[in-house]
Amino acid sequence: MSGNDEGITLIDGGAPRPGKLGQLEMALSPLRPRPRKPLPRERTALAIWFWEIDRVLLGLIIVLIAIGLVAVAAASPVAAAKLSSAENTLAPLYYFYRQLMWIALGLPIMIVVSMLPRVQARRLAIALSIVFGLFLLLVPVIGTNVNGATRWLGAGMFRFQPSEFLKPVFVVSIAWLLSMRARDPSLPVISLTAMLTGIVALLLMRQPDFGQTVIFCACWAALLLIGGASMRIMTTVGLSALSLFVLMYLFYENGRERIDAFLFPVKDAIEGPDQVQLAHATITHGGLMGVGPGGGSAKFNLPEAHTDYIFSVIGEEFGLIACVAIAMVYLAIVVRVLLRLLDEEDSFVILASAGLAIEMGLQAIINMGVNIHIFPSKGMTLPFISYGGSSMIALCGGVGLLLAFTRRNPYMSRSPYGMTWSGR
Amino acid sequence: MATIIARPESRTGHREQLDLASVAHGRIMLVLLIFVAISTVMAGKMVWMGVAAATQAERSISPIPVPHRADIVDRNGVPLARDIDGYAIAVRRDRLLGDPRELAEKLHGIFPDQTVGHFYKLLTSGGQWNYLRTRALPREVAAVNALGEVGIEFPREPERLYPQRTMAAHLIGFVNRDGHGAMGVERAFNDRLVDLNMRGQPLQLSMDSRVQAALEDELIYGMEDQKAKGAVGLVLDSRTGEVIAMASLPTFNPNRIDPIPSPPPVVGKDGKLYPGKITCDMSPRCNRVVQARYELGSTFKPLSFAAAMDAGIIVSMAKRYDATAPLQVGGFSIRDDHPLGRWLNVPEALLHSSNIVTARIADEMGQKPLEKAYRSMEFDRPATIELREQAGTLFPGKWYRTTIMTTAYGHGIAVTPMHLASAYAALVNGGVWHPATVIKRKPGEKIEARRIFSEETSARMRQLLRMIVQTGTGRNADAVGYRVGGKTGTAEKPKDGGYARRSLVSTFASAFPMEDPRYVVVVMMDEPQGSSRTPGVRTAAYTAAPVVKSFVARAGPLLGVFPEANRDIDISELKPLVEGDKESE
Repeated sequence: MSGNDEGITLIDGGAPRPGKLGQLEMALSPLRPRPRKPLPRERTALAIWFWEIDRVLLGLIIVLIAIGLVAVAAASPVAAAKLSSAENTLAPLYYFYRQLMWIALGLPIMIVVSMLPRVQARRLAIALSIVFGLFLLLVPVIGTNVNGATRWLGAGMFRFQPSEFLKPVFVVSIAWLLSMRARDPSLPVISLTAMLTGIVALLLMRQPDFGQTVIFCACWAALLLIGGASMRIMTTVGLSALSLFVLMYLFYENGRERIDAFLFPVKDAIEGPDQVQLAHATITHGGLMGVGPGGGSAKFNLPEAHTDYIFSVIGEEFGLIACVAIAMVYLAIVVRVLLRLLDEEDSFVILASAGLAIEMGLQAIINMGVNIHIFPSKGMTLPFISYGGSSMIALCGGVGLLLAFTRRNPYMSRSPYGMTWSGR
Repeated sequence: MATIIARPESRTGHREQLDLASVAHGRIMLVLLIFVAISTVMAGKMVWMGVAAATQAERSISPIPVPHRADIVDRNGVPLARDIDGYAIAVRRDRLLGDPRELAEKLHGIFPDQTVGHFYKLLTSGGQWNYLRTRALPREVAAVNALGEVGIEFPREPERLYPQRTMAAHLIGFVNRDGHGAMGVERAFNDRLVDLNMRGQPLQLSMDSRVQAALEDELIYGMEDQKAKGAVGLVLDSRTGEVIAMASLPTFNPNRIDPIPSPPPVVGKDGKLYPGKITCDMSPRCNRVVQARYELGSTFKPLSFAAAMDAGIIVSMAKRYDATAPLQVGGFSIRDDHPLGRWLNVPEALLHSSNIVTARIADEMGQKPLEKAYRSMEFDRPATIELREQAGTLFPGKWYRTTIMTTAYGHGIAVTPMHLASAYAALVNGGVWHPATVIKRKPGEKIEARRIFSEETSARMRQLLRMIVQTGTGRNADAVGYRVGGKTGTAEKPKDGGYARRSLVSTFASAFPMEDPRYVVVVMMDEPQGSSRTPGVRTAAYTAAPVVKSFVARAGPLLGVFPEANRDIDISELKPLVEGDKESE
C-alpha cells in the first residue's frame, strides 16, 4: 500500500494483518504443500500487478467482452443492412470488426490504468473528470446532432460522447469528495457533490439524455448512501427524485412520450409496432433456447440492434436462458466488487470501487430492463456488450480504475469474503 | 492477537474514519441486496417471457387462423384443398461456402427426381437468391439442413396442399406460384376463395369423394385393360344438376405442377411457323369432360327420338321403319353396324341402334324440331358449368338433309361429355333441363329449370333406355339389381376431313335407378383397343358399358341406391314389341 498524500491514515499500516499470519500458517501446513514460489520470484512490475489484481473481476470482464463480440457479430448484419445503400454496401460484419478495433484499443487502456498506483489513479480520474466536465459544457455549443440528440463532440472517426467518458471519472471524483467527510465531517461535501451532480444532470437533460442523467444521479445517491448519509438526507434525496420525476413527466416532452408508451402501450398503432414491441417480438422469438447463431429473423426489424437492443438480439439467437446468464455475469461482477469491499477500510476505496461497480451494474440493469420491458425505453448501451467506441473505451478506463483501486497484496489482507476457494 | 492489540490504538486515532467504514459496510450489504433482488426479478421475467413465448406459439396453432385462401371440401366435408405453411428450400448464392458441384450432387442424392446439372445451374447462376425446391417435406428440409451449408435457407411459405393428390385433380384444379387459381374450381372460384370475408368458410363442392374415387378407380382399370388413350367419367345428379363425380384420364398431381411441353410449331398458310396448339392428347391437365368435344355417336339417338316424339313424328312405338338396306342420301350411304335386314319398330331401332331408322325418323321430323331440341340442350354453345376450361361445340351451321340425318345419330355434331350428361339428365328426370354445377346445392335452393321434353316422352325414354340395357346393346352395363338404363355410342374420330376407322370414341350414357332416375353416369373411352376378355372389340358395348356396370355396383350403395331384385321400371307394354326377337349379339 502506498502512502496517502491526502492525510487519510490507512488501517493497513497500523498493525500486523492476519494476512501475514496466514502466510506463515500456510507455509507450515503439512496438509497443503504450498507451491515453491508463493510470490513471483521475478519482481517485475507486471508480475506484481498480476499478483495483486482482482483476477476474478478481470476474468468476468473478459467473459463479458467475449460475449459482447459474439453478440455484435450477431447484430452487425442488421445494422450493416440498415446503413447500406445501393452504391455503398457495408460488409455484414462491419461492426464486428470495428468492435474488435475498439477492444484492441480499450483493453490496453484498461491494463495501463489498472497498473497505476491508487493515488495516481485517483488523480488521473479527478483530472479527467474536470476535462470531460468541460467537454460536456462544450457539447451544447459545438456538439454534433445525431438522431435529434446533441451528445457528441468532434466529427467522423474522432467523434466521441463526453458523458460516457465522464461517467467513471465523475463517480471517482464524487467518491473522493465524499470520502473527505471521513477526515473532517464538517466539510459541506454533500451539498457540493449535489451541486456538481445537478450541473451534470442539467447538461445531460439538455442533450437530451435521460438515461445517463438517471445513472449519474443514482450513482451519486448510492454513494451518499454508502458514504453514511443520514436517514434524513436519504429521505430528502428520495423525495426530490420522485418530485423531479413528476416534474419531468409534466414538462419534459420526450420523457413523457416514452413513459406514456410504456404505461399505456398502443396495440396495433397506425405507424406499426414501436421499438418496445419490436424488441419484445425479437427477444421472445427464440424462446428459452434461441433459434441459433445467425438464425435470427426478427432482429432485422429492430432499430439500434447493435447498441440499445443488442440484448434482444441475444435473446432471439441464443435464448432467454443466455439472457439470464448474462444478467448473472453482471450481478457476479457487482457482488464480487462489493463483497471484497466489506473488509476494506479505506473509505475512498470503498466509495470509488462501489460507485464504479454500481454505475456499471445500473447501466446493465437499465439496458436489460428496457429490453425485457420493465422500464420505458431510453438510449443506453449494455456495458461491454453493445457496440460503441466511446462506450467501450470509457468502460475499459472505468474498469481499469476499479482494478487499480481494488488491487491488494493477497497476503497483506486476507478477506473472509472475496477470496477464491483455493484459499489464496 | 496482534490485531487485538492494534485495535484500540487505531480506534482512538480514527474514530470517525472507522465509523464511516463500518457504516459503509452495512450499506454496501444493503446495496448488494437491492442488486440481487433486481437481478432476481429480471431473471424471473426473462424466464417467464421465454415460457410465455413457447406457450403462445403453441396456442397460436390451436385455433385455426383464417387461411390466405379458403379450403375446398367435398359434399361431405372431406378436405380437397387447404392452405398449409410449407417449406421452401432456397439458396443465397453469395453465402455459399461449399463447392457448388459437390453440393449439387448431394442435393441430387436427396432429390433424385432432379438432375445434378439442374441443381448446379441454380447454385451457380441466376439471381442472388434462387429457389432450389418448393413444397419440400420436413424430412427433406432436415436432410438438406444436415448438409450444413449456410447459404441454404428454408423460408416458410403458404402452400396449397391437395391431400387427395390426383383425385378429382381436373375438377379442383390448382393454384399457380402467384397464388391465383389456374384451373378448375380454384380458377373458377378464385375471387370467392381469396375473399377476406368468406375465406374462413370452406367452399363445399357437390362432388362426393367416395363416388369420385370409385369412378376413377374403375376408369383407370378400364383404360389400362383396354389400352385406351384416355377416359372420361361423369356422374350428375339429374334432379339438381350437381356434379357428383368428374374424372378425366390421364390425370396429374396438383401438388406438383410440371410445365407442359410446348407442341411442335405448325407451318401456317403463309409459310411461316406458328406455335402449335396444345391438344388434350398432349397434356394430362386437359379436362376432357369439358375441354374436349367428341362426336358422341349413337348416344344421341335417344335424344333425337325424344325430339321426334315431342314433335309428334313418333306416335306409336309399334310403327315400323324399313331397315332392310343401307339408306342412300346425296351420295352418302347410311348403314347399320349390326344390320338385321328387316323392318324395325321404335324400341327395336333403339335396342339395335339402327342408324337407318334414326335417319328415316329425322328425315321425317325435319330440321326445325331437331335443331330446336339440340339448341335447348345447349349443344350450340359451351357447356353451362362454372369451370372456365371450356371447349366450344361443333354445331351445324347449315342444315342439309344429310346433316339432319347424321346429327340425329350423333355424327356431324360434336359436344363435350358434359353436354351429353346434362341432356341425359333432362331426358330421364321428367324432361326438365338444369344447369350443371360443381357447388353443392343448399337444401330448398331454387334451381333454374327449363322444360325441354314432355313428361310422357321422358317416361317413355326411361323405359326404352332400361330395355337397351336389359336386352339391347347395353347389356354389359346391367349391374344386377341397380336398374341401369342407358345407350351405347361408338364413333370414329374425325381425321384429315374423313373418319379414322380404328380410332374410336366409345361412350356409354346411362342413368340409374331407372324407375326414378337420380344419377346420370357418362363414361367414355378414348381410342380403346379392346379389353382382355374381348380383345380387339372396340365398340362401346364392350368397352364403356362394362366400366359403367362395375362403377354402378360399387358406387350405388354410396349414393343410397341398393340392389333390389323385385323392383324395376314397368316395361310390360313395350315388351311384346321386341318379344321373340332373337338377339343377334
